[in-house]
Amino acid sequence: MIELKDVTVRYPNGVVGLDGVNLTIPDGEFVVVVGLSGAGKSTLIRTINGLVPVTSGALLVDGEDVAGASKRELRAIRSRVGMIFQSFNLVKRTSVMNNVIMGQLHDIPSWRALVGLWSKAEKEKGYQALERVGIVEKTWTRASELSGGQQQRVAIARALAQDPSVMLADEPVASLDPPTAQMVMKDLQRINRELGITTLVNLHFLDLARQYGDRVIGMRGGKVVFDGTGAEADDAVFERIYGRSLTADDTLAETA
Amino acid sequence: MSAAAPTAPASRVVRPRKPRPSRLLIGGLVVAAAFTWWAGHSLGFSLRPLIENWSNGWVVIEQFLHPQWSFVWRVREAWVETIAIAIVASGVGVILGLVFAFMASRVTDRSTGLFRATRWFLSVLRSLPDIAYVLIFVALVGIGSLAGILALILFNIGIAAKLTSETIDAVDSGPLEAADASGAGTWARARWAVMPQITPNYLSYCLYIFELNIRSSVVIGIAGGGGIGQVINVQFSRFEYENVAAITVALFVVVLLIDQLSQYLRRRFV
Amino acid sequence: MSAPPVTASSTRTARPAEPSKAKATLVWIALLVIFGGAAFLSNARWSQITGVFTDGWRYLELMLEGLVQNPFAEPWSGYWTLAIEKMLESVYMAWVGTLIGALISIPFGFLAARNVAGPVTVQLTRAVLNLIRAVPELVFAIIIMLPIFGFGPVAGTVALGVGAVGTLGKLTAEALEGIDPGPVEAARASGARRLSVLRWAYWSQVLPEVVAFWLYRFEINIRASAVLGIIGAGGVGQLLGQLFGQREWEQIGITLAVIIAVTLMVDAISGGIRHRIIAGSGSGAKATEEETASL
Repeated sequence: MIELKDVTVRYPNGVVGLDGVNLTIPDGEFVVVVGLSGAGKSTLIRTINGLVPVTSGALLVDGEDVAGASKRELRAIRSRVGMIFQSFNLVKRTSVMNNVIMGQLHDIPSWRALVGLWSKAEKEKGYQALERVGIVEKTWTRASELSGGQQQRVAIARALAQDPSVMLADEPVASLDPPTAQMVMKDLQRINRELGITTLVNLHFLDLARQYGDRVIGMRGGKVVFDGTGAEADDAVFERIYGRSLTADDTLAETA
Repeated sequence: MSAAAPTAPASRVVRPRKPRPSRLLIGGLVVAAAFTWWAGHSLGFSLRPLIENWSNGWVVIEQFLHPQWSFVWRVREAWVETIAIAIVASGVGVILGLVFAFMASRVTDRSTGLFRATRWFLSVLRSLPDIAYVLIFVALVGIGSLAGILALILFNIGIAAKLTSETIDAVDSGPLEAADASGAGTWARARWAVMPQITPNYLSYCLYIFELNIRSSVVIGIAGGGGIGQVINVQFSRFEYENVAAITVALFVVVLLIDQLSQYLRRRFV
Repeated sequence: MSAPPVTASSTRTARPAEPSKAKATLVWIALLVIFGGAAFLSNARWSQITGVFTDGWRYLELMLEGLVQNPFAEPWSGYWTLAIEKMLESVYMAWVGTLIGALISIPFGFLAARNVAGPVTVQLTRAVLNLIRAVPELVFAIIIMLPIFGFGPVAGTVALGVGAVGTLGKLTAEALEGIDPGPVEAARASGARRLSVLRWAYWSQVLPEVVAFWLYRFEINIRASAVLGIIGAGGVGQLLGQLFGQREWEQIGITLAVIIAVTLMVDAISGGIRHRIIAGSGSGAKATEEETASL
């Protein structure tokens, strides 16, 4: 469960990222966050993982306070929250397996991490995560040799290898072509259904948001301006969230 | 709350075996390790003196901590000499280096024979350390700054030609084609199609070489090539470490100043 | 028969004035004055330059004579053996010295990278690295190494190692600053410890470049080790110094030939490995080449 109580985030340069956000996300829900760039979607996701500090308000992940956590506590919280990025963020110069094991670094003693001495269990977890996203045959390939879609699946596997209870995805399909984007979204949905991992995805394509979101949250100017089911989020709602009429760029299908 | 572990995959694809690290890599690492051991053994390498003779070193270092500042000014002529040597040597070196650079790039040198010969000559030129050139010229023209200048010129040609010819190799071929299409000769083509493209890089190499020449003044002087290095050599052999210390610190300051100056010139002109 | 030239236009429009060349001319004059002044102030006895042409040919002939003698007959075989032995010592010094410098430069590199350490640490570390870079190895050897290690190759080796820390630390820091920050964020987001992040998100990204820098520094150190011989810190430089003192031109020829051959060989091997490492890592080989130019 993720709870935000009147959370405000102000960046050092004075920009307000989140402005008094109240949200409760129960376990196992698949939530899509929509909004223009700069609306606070990214800040929301990064704040939940403690990558962006909370200025005021309370933020609880699985009942633990992110805002007041010590460095060590924060690392423990992060280890239970998987994260997926728009640009995949893989280390391209090393193997897929090493990348996936990077998700487990929290639980690996420093000296073993330093020399890259992985235990059997850690590798097993890596294999299983890769099997889950159907890319196990690439285990020992260099990450740089994979296509964009494959890289994003490895990134999902890296997050899965953390045994997360929450999965955060920041524009996971923005750098991918439409068919690949659909595949990655399906992977995320399947993982959410099969493993019951609470999932929060930032998207700017509204058709994808409707298709996959059990719940859609609309953000504008750092505030939550819509919170409802995917079915409720019709074009009028999106126009309100975006503050303008919709264009072809706002959907995945028509840009294809 | 917490989800089940991501076990029980849907469909089981055969897991690939971890590939063995390439034999070349393993072989290379083994050779490197063996070579390291052998090299250390032949040198009689040991860090024990670092602990045992620390007090010996400390005596010298202590003298170094009390530099004789007045000495820096007393040898002002040697400083002027060092900078003058660097100016003359880098001036001549970069101009000759430019000529060689044009002969050592396939872009500007269309004669295979000359190209190969130049490349070969330049790599031989670069393979000798600066000290060897100083020794040679000291033997030919006697101890003094002339030997230092001549040695640095040869040394500079090697570096300037290498850096510049690599830049020439990478120029945009568009203007070259245009020059060829208008029937320009080799020289006109080099001057008007290539030179404008490489000028910024070339100027920055010139400054870099000047910096290098100031830095190597110690080496030059110790082997008899004049300048401040010669002063260091004399003071060192008289065990006047206070003087050597003052000169060393002053040299450090000079190098920093020249670095700053050349950074300023680079921003301004390059 | 000939048509009027195509460039002649029928109407004359106002033409812009040609830009003045005064500034460029002034710069050239200034450069010439500086050069001339320097040539005078350098105290070089220019008249002696004739020595290059008179003695030069004679000595070159003597050197070549040494080279064409039967290398397996006394005393030539002894000259060859001694030269090779001393040159190998230089190579050993360069290798071990570079290795020492490489190991020490790793922590320095991390501490000098702006995206790893705090601004104060970075400034302090950079100051130390700049200091090391500005002081020639020769000075390290004279000041610190000879008193501690005594005359001989170990002093030279350690001096080369310390000298290498400056450039290698700086280049490592620059490579670290150039990494893709994405994996760092990903590793931090998964709750990894700082040390693990440094090892896997930073170090994995720069390893090939850094190893290429090490090899390049090794090539440079082979030349630098010759210099150290002059003050008695081992290697082929020591031999060269003695031979030039005694004007043993034939033996000098042999020794220079050995230096050239071994240096070219090591350059070729090391350069080949560097290109492989960089090409194999699949990222801009060009960038690294340019960076190493400033070593």
